[in-house]
Amino acid sequence: MGLVRKQAPREPEEVLPEPPDTGTLLGQLDDPDPDCRREAALGLVEAAEAVPELLARVGTEKDPRVLESILTTLAARDTEEVAGGLAVHLASDEAVLRTAVAAALATMPRSVPALLPDLLAAPDHDVRVMTAMVLADLPHPEAHDWLVKMICEDPHPNVVTGAIDALLPSATAEDAQLLRDAVERFPDDPFLRFTVNTALPRLTGTA
Amino acid sequence: MAGAAATGLSDADFTRFCEYFYKRTGIHFTSAKRYFVDKRIDTCIRNSPYDTFGSWFAALRTSDQGPMLQELINQLTVNETYFLREDYQFDAMLTTVLPNVLAARGGISRIAGPVKILSLPCSTGEEPYSIALRLLEEWDQIDHVDVEIHGADIDSDVLAKAAHASYGERSVQRVPKAWLNKYFVAVGAGRYQVDEGIRSAVTLHKVNICDTAAMRSFRDFDIVFCRNVLIYFDELSSRRAAENLYGAMRPGGYLFLGHSESMSRISPIFTPTRLPEGLVYQRPTGAK
Repeated sequence: MGLVRKQAPREPEEVLPEPPDTGTLLGQLDDPDPDCRREAALGLVEAAEAVPELLARVGTEKDPRVLESILTTLAARDTEEVAGGLAVHLASDEAVLRTAVAAALATMPRSVPALLPDLLAAPDHDVRVMTAMVLADLPHPEAHDWLVKMICEDPHPNVVTGAIDALLPSATAEDAQLLRDAVERFPDDPFLRFTVNTALPRLTGTA
Repeated sequence: MAGAAATGLSDADFTRFCEYFYKRTGIHFTSAKRYFVDKRIDTCIRNSPYDTFGSWFAALRTSDQGPMLQELINQLTVNETYFLREDYQFDAMLTTVLPNVLAARGGISRIAGPVKILSLPCSTGEEPYSIALRLLEEWDQIDHVDVEIHGADIDSDVLAKAAHASYGERSVQRVPKAWLNKYFVAVGAGRYQVDEGIRSAVTLHKVNICDTAAMRSFRDFDIVFCRNVLIYFDELSSRRAAENLYGAMRPGGYLFLGHSESMSRISPIFTPTRLPEGLVYQRPTGAK
């Protein structure tokens, strides 16, 4: 007992196992063991041909950790095909799914901008709230401008509040009037008013 | 030219280089790191037969996984560390985590196989050797349980130094004098080498934490130290690294991050657990 000591020379060992082929990994996506499915999804990161299969699993995979691995692999592609395939789930009734998809889309700065015209005009205001969540973390130079547009133009107070929440970490004193205008647009919405009133002192240096 | 370096690196070259390096390693450099990156590329070019960034970069892309890429990785990864760094986490390992691991695995009398501990990245070896020292000196169960310690890093140069395990005074300044006398050998000029008994207890590996295929070789670790590396990754690479760490761990296993790092911002797959000594992350026991 104690520390296990190696008998062989201690040169660093390079780890180069033979990866399973794409066909094997695709087959493992049906394995009853969630850990096997999770690793298969991660292993498909270089396989462009696996994208349709992985996208199809986003809406059906019930294990949240397998879903995370599928989204990690899909987000690495950052193409409009993938982003479009993911964005449909922003309307899901399942909170885990729509939140996980929003987090994945937020790591796809190349392809998400092309979706924004449709997402910002989505008839379902909950989709627009989720879009604000995506923009909150999207590493894109125009993310701030899109959030400002939502705050100025969106007709639903929940969307505007969501966009304000998303904007606040990067907001400056220059955004203060934008927030005051939002309160004026929705004078009867107490949550929006509370959000703005809480944020304004920090922005204007009067906290 | 704005931002031009001694290498003659233009802003466009810098962007192209960063995209290439990100794809190969998952490590993302912003323009805030421009000076650091320029200096390291300059060193690589001076060590190569090429005299311009363009010819060097073309050769790098052609050789891809070869020695040129490894030298570049070695230059661009940060390796400064010392013995017993952030040792409140080693306190947590000894007082809370190891007893929990033993209990979860059936207790000392029934545990099957060794307790496995991984230090990734292990840099020049201070962390895995610190773990060995703390276990030998301060864990009262060490004579009753087998413990495997593994260190892994992407940088072949630091791994070679870890294998040699010779350190300067600054690196060992936090090591108690008694431990220094007991486990180190003075090798001259203020340098101390970890003795053979401790060195042979740490297995070293070269691996990229973002490489899912390579990380498949790491399995069933009870405790993982992955400190101060995820901060160098962008969100996507952090997610992949987190997934790979998850796969390397036993259900219920414990993950220590650096004090400024938070898994909550990276991935929801781990369960945060508040210990008296601080925050640690667990692979859920419900998951296989």
